[in-house]
Amino acid sequence: MPLIELHSLSKVYDDTAFPVHAVKKINLQIEKGEFTAIVGPSGSGKTTLLNLIGGLDKPTEGSVSIEGVDISTLKSSELTNFRLHHIGFVFQAYNLIPVFTARENVEFIMLLQNVSKAEREKRAIELLEAVGLGDRINSRPSQLSGGQQQRVAVARALASRPNFVLADEPTANLDSSAAESLLDMMAQLNKDYEMTFVFSTHDPRVIQRARRVVILQDGAVISDA
Amino acid sequence: MIASLAWKNVWRNKKRSLIIIFATALGLWGSLLAGAIWMGWGESMVNTAIARDLSHIQIHRKGYFQNKEVENYIPNGFNILGELSRIPGIKAVSGRTLVEGMAASPTSTFGVKIVGIVPSQAKKVTDIYNRLTAGNYFAGGGRNPIVIGKKLADRLGLKLHSKIVLSFQGFGSSLNYAAFRIIGIYKTDSSIFDQSNVFVRQSDLFRILGHTPVIHEIAIRVQSSQIMPQVYNIVQEKYTHLDVQTWEEIAPEVAFTSAAMESFTYIFIGIILFALLFGITNTMLMAVMERVRELGVLIAVGMTKGKVFTMILLETIILSITGGVAGIVIGGLTISYFSRTGIDLSALASSMETFGTSTSLRPFLPLDMYIALPVMIIITAIFSAVLPAWKAINIQPSAAIRTY
Repeated sequence: MPLIELHSLSKVYDDTAFPVHAVKKINLQIEKGEFTAIVGPSGSGKTTLLNLIGGLDKPTEGSVSIEGVDISTLKSSELTNFRLHHIGFVFQAYNLIPVFTARENVEFIMLLQNVSKAEREKRAIELLEAVGLGDRINSRPSQLSGGQQQRVAVARALASRPNFVLADEPTANLDSSAAESLLDMMAQLNKDYEMTFVFSTHDPRVIQRARRVVILQDGAVISDA
Repeated sequence: MIASLAWKNVWRNKKRSLIIIFATALGLWGSLLAGAIWMGWGESMVNTAIARDLSHIQIHRKGYFQNKEVENYIPNGFNILGELSRIPGIKAVSGRTLVEGMAASPTSTFGVKIVGIVPSQAKKVTDIYNRLTAGNYFAGGGRNPIVIGKKLADRLGLKLHSKIVLSFQGFGSSLNYAAFRIIGIYKTDSSIFDQSNVFVRQSDLFRILGHTPVIHEIAIRVQSSQIMPQVYNIVQEKYTHLDVQTWEEIAPEVAFTSAAMESFTYIFIGIILFALLFGITNTMLMAVMERVRELGVLIAVGMTKGKVFTMILLETIILSITGGVAGIVIGGLTISYFSRTGIDLSALASSMETFGTSTSLRPFLPLDMYIALPVMIIITAIFSAVLPAWKAINIQPSAAIRTY
């Protein structure tokens, strides 16, 4: 059974005078352990597709199945719970909680899962060490560089022990060195833990490192290799 | 950790949070002080009236207030007086002989209540002896001494040692006249009382009336107002053939004013909190709208709507309680200070005398109000949080994440 299965997936934004067909009848399967990049120009539907896979948006037609569960049929509260336990998110703008330290940011998601305090602290420190920030666990986001913040975001995404990580343009705000370093780290996590990563990007560095590249244009898949 | 996040969120924008905390504290301080002044005023009215003439409990013959003729005295009044003084909880008793009459000076006349007392008994029940502005309280001998109020003295154009003629109806519809020498002039906080009550010795009154000694009113002071209901029940059960009344029954307007002051205080604080509700709601709405992206991320990664709501609610309660506690503490300290020193309202003395209250006001708030206030603040915070929390839980994460 594929980890992620999209079946005839469409999304139409019809809240304006001119309906926008952001995603058109996409069929896609992603297996566990893949390192997949969804690429395409601006407006091609990358982010919409990622939102649909992540359960942040509801499809107009078709279905999204994660490990056999059709998440497009889940109620809002069930979907929130599903995301918490099955999906890790990494955002372009890091989106860490500014008043929390790196450790607290990583711990917070485990708190939502009702993980015990001792286990939370242990796992948060392990993850921050794994992303190379063992010496910055008590730093707040404002005390960290962009690259370091994105590493904390990756640690946070992994803290809930998800089935896969969705990363929306994770290197867009990073310089070359930080982007390379982040990609090295994610590739290592993919290799060591067989963690599935799905990126939306138009960064050639990410495309170069991806083992599978899905190209979108005008909401439809034009290439999958 | 959600509480910790809420606390940290409150202090993200220190200036804005401090402004609303300051406004809450100021509003509560002002309303507490105003309430304490009102309640102190009501309490002053009660205490003044009890100490002046009401005492805690009074006994009369049944129907006395409908017909105040001299014949309506308490049967075996002096025996009852002796029995009462042996009831536990009663501090002092005083028997009064009451006669309605006219006071005349060479220039004017005025209707008065002539109160015949035994000075040593009366001193234990009322504080008139402490309110003399001239003369003494039946200290010397002499024939027919009288103590009158300053207001009456002024009306009749009389001074200390002047003569005053009292005329009143005696037993069997006889009309009695007697001249008295003013040996003391008192001034209480009630000008109405001062112009209509004169005090004479019971023995002088009986001699003029030509009748065996009788009393019309027994005034009782209990050891503390807390035990008044118990003492009242004992006395009432013992003397079912007489009218036994508490000061609240005798002077319902005083009791009502005192009770109304507490209600006014709650209403006033309620209005202040209602006004603050809008300020707190506005502050929290701004806080939510500034954090749309962050809240969207929290919802995206799996924070339930319930937890988001709880977080916003906690932030609002922290904000409100911080201001509220500050207001209560500052208000409490201010009230405590003025309750010791008193607020001097002597500039308004003539108005205050009309209401029968002291010109030195001592504000106070009962303990239950200090307990009720934090509850009222939390209720206000909950109402203030509803709209911002509603906005927060309805954020669409997919759109919010891309908000800058």
